[in-house]
Amino acid sequence: MEDDDENPPLAVAIDNMSESSLPESSSRSENVGVTQEESPVGVTVITGYLGAGKSTLVNYILNGRHGKKIAVILNEFGEEIGVERAMINEGDDGTVIEEWIELANGCVCCTVKHSLVQALEQLIQRKERLDHILLETTGLADPAPLASVLWLDDQLESALRLDSILTVVDAKNIKLQLNEYRHSALFPEAVLQIAFADVVILNKVDLIHHENCRDSICNVLEDLKKEIHNINSLATVIQAVRCQVDLHEILDRKAYGANHLSHLEALLEDSKTVPAGSRHDFSIRTLCIEEQQPIDLAKVRLWLEDLLWEKKTHGDVYRSKGVLNICDSDQLHTLQAVRELYEVIPARRWLETEKKMSKIVFIGRNLDETNLRNSFRSCILKRDSGASA
Amino acid sequence: MVSENQLVLASTLRPYPISKKRVVPKGIEEPDWAIDGIPKIEPSSDLQNRVEIKTAEQIERMRETCRIAREVLDAAARFIRPGVTTDEVDEVVHEATIAAGGYPSPLNYYFFPKSCCTSVNEVICHGIPDARRLEDGDIVNVDVSVYYKGVHGDLNETFFVGNVDEDSQQLVRCTYECLEKAISIVKPGVRFREVGEVINRHASMSGLSVVKSYCGHGIGELFHCAPNIPHYARNKAVGVMKAGQTFSIEPMINAGVWRDRLWPDGWTSVTADGKRSAQFEHTLLVTETGVEVLTARLPSSPDVFSWLIS
Repeated sequence: MEDDDENPPLAVAIDNMSESSLPESSSRSENVGVTQEESPVGVTVITGYLGAGKSTLVNYILNGRHGKKIAVILNEFGEEIGVERAMINEGDDGTVIEEWIELANGCVCCTVKHSLVQALEQLIQRKERLDHILLETTGLADPAPLASVLWLDDQLESALRLDSILTVVDAKNIKLQLNEYRHSALFPEAVLQIAFADVVILNKVDLIHHENCRDSICNVLEDLKKEIHNINSLATVIQAVRCQVDLHEILDRKAYGANHLSHLEALLEDSKTVPAGSRHDFSIRTLCIEEQQPIDLAKVRLWLEDLLWEKKTHGDVYRSKGVLNICDSDQLHTLQAVRELYEVIPARRWLETEKKMSKIVFIGRNLDETNLRNSFRSCILKRDSGASA
Repeated sequence: MVSENQLVLASTLRPYPISKKRVVPKGIEEPDWAIDGIPKIEPSSDLQNRVEIKTAEQIERMRETCRIAREVLDAAARFIRPGVTTDEVDEVVHEATIAAGGYPSPLNYYFFPKSCCTSVNEVICHGIPDARRLEDGDIVNVDVSVYYKGVHGDLNETFFVGNVDEDSQQLVRCTYECLEKAISIVKPGVRFREVGEVINRHASMSGLSVVKSYCGHGIGELFHCAPNIPHYARNKAVGVMKAGQTFSIEPMINAGVWRDRLWPDGWTSVTADGKRSAQFEHTLLVTETGVEVLTARLPSSPDVFSWLIS
């Protein structure tokens, strides 16, 4: 390595080596590569209207004794600052340290990964054994762009994966906001944040207690849950006081994992997908279409692309999940979409006990149920040409 | 499993001194990053999310600019031989570009210091031209982008320096074929995500791997815009091709693993295992019936690829 002397500038990323691998340089350091074999670190995006309790949740998680090492990134996504604040509970003693992570301002257009993803990957590489990342967004944030950026292709074998979107709502205020939205389309962010959520924390339920006599409290909460499920029937709603929730319920949801089985089963269960009430008093709502006959994969793709990309006939689809019964395949296929991004992949074999069917849940705005249902029929494979002979 | 340290040692290339920024004469129309290094229109344009359908007039300008870019790259190709530095290649590119009345798009784009990218051996892309002399047996990619009449043209080719070993020749030829095969599917109605399927199929058949961190891009009045076109398989790229769209396809193919590392200079992307990487790029126009390669080779282009000589 003498020639290093004639070539003064060092060619390799020193910062990659300095912390983690220097001590091992004499002992062949085989374990450095292993880090990439470990399962990716989940990222939960936390949204919620101003005052709903996002910071309370974050502090609760950071200071809690759960033995998990968690990094919280305060995200100013969309605001061109180029630097974000990160807080990490280092070690078991629970001390929270704070640092800044820098977003590269290089040419982002010809790179596949957004600078935020690159920054998070670097954080994971720098910190040993990070269990989870929480990304706290500003109160007015639309979760869709963040979800699109973080929902990476599996092929990229990234050290991180989008786990889920978690929305904190204020049980007392949300009623008001939903009413305002219903009547005058105010607070669209609050409704959007529910629409994109995989988990909704219905926070400050204790504040309802104080105002209502006891037997109606349950009714109020049940009504709220119904309203939330009307918008988004796929979301798990968790009641909380001061955001004190069981971490197991909110971390590692794997909401974007294509073959996460619990989600499939939930989808195949009727009760989870049919909106609680059939009142269509929101322009943003959930609807579900079903088909027993096997469908053609190529046609489904075209149908989805018309819907999500060309936006030809129907309203805006925000989020979609589904199981598909593809003809000539013994594989249960899953569909997953966020705005324009979608993926259809074989997840597992259909079980003997299962009734093969296709079922797609859409969450979106101004969705035309009849139109969706009818156009989906065009995906049924017509066997008449070949089979009639 | 090889460790990070071993991977680093596997890479033998080192950066060399970089010459002063070259001057663009007054009177040449400059993109908005020329003075202060920061593109302003590009990052906030809605064309980052929407693929523009170019007008006939825009397309005509694209043709002119892409032709200039091709001639500039050809000038670099004629110049390349053992002993010349990549900085001298940059000088050839710079002089040819301004002689044609164009601005070398990379110059000062997010502070990129030179007028083209030169990527030697294990450099995947975005290598900065410097004082290193090309050696017999090297492969070097030259990536040229020209701004002229308000639009950009972008292409690159990987050249052989002197006598190159058999493996590298195969790598470069396979990469060339990957681009050719990708271009052959371009027509209205084809999904952008299909491009990666074609490239991945051909590369993996030859035992080579596809770089996943960089992708093809829309181009026109903006240097980089929608669509993003990954070169790897099973990607979720959004949209189908439509007549009037212009974009680049630029597969980077590695002899070893697909993973890349970034040099501390913030630009130079190298293979993680130090093995070689090749790339080819064209700027394409989707036509009603198929595709027009705006940066296609010209009758005057030098015969540097043996497989193109009949």
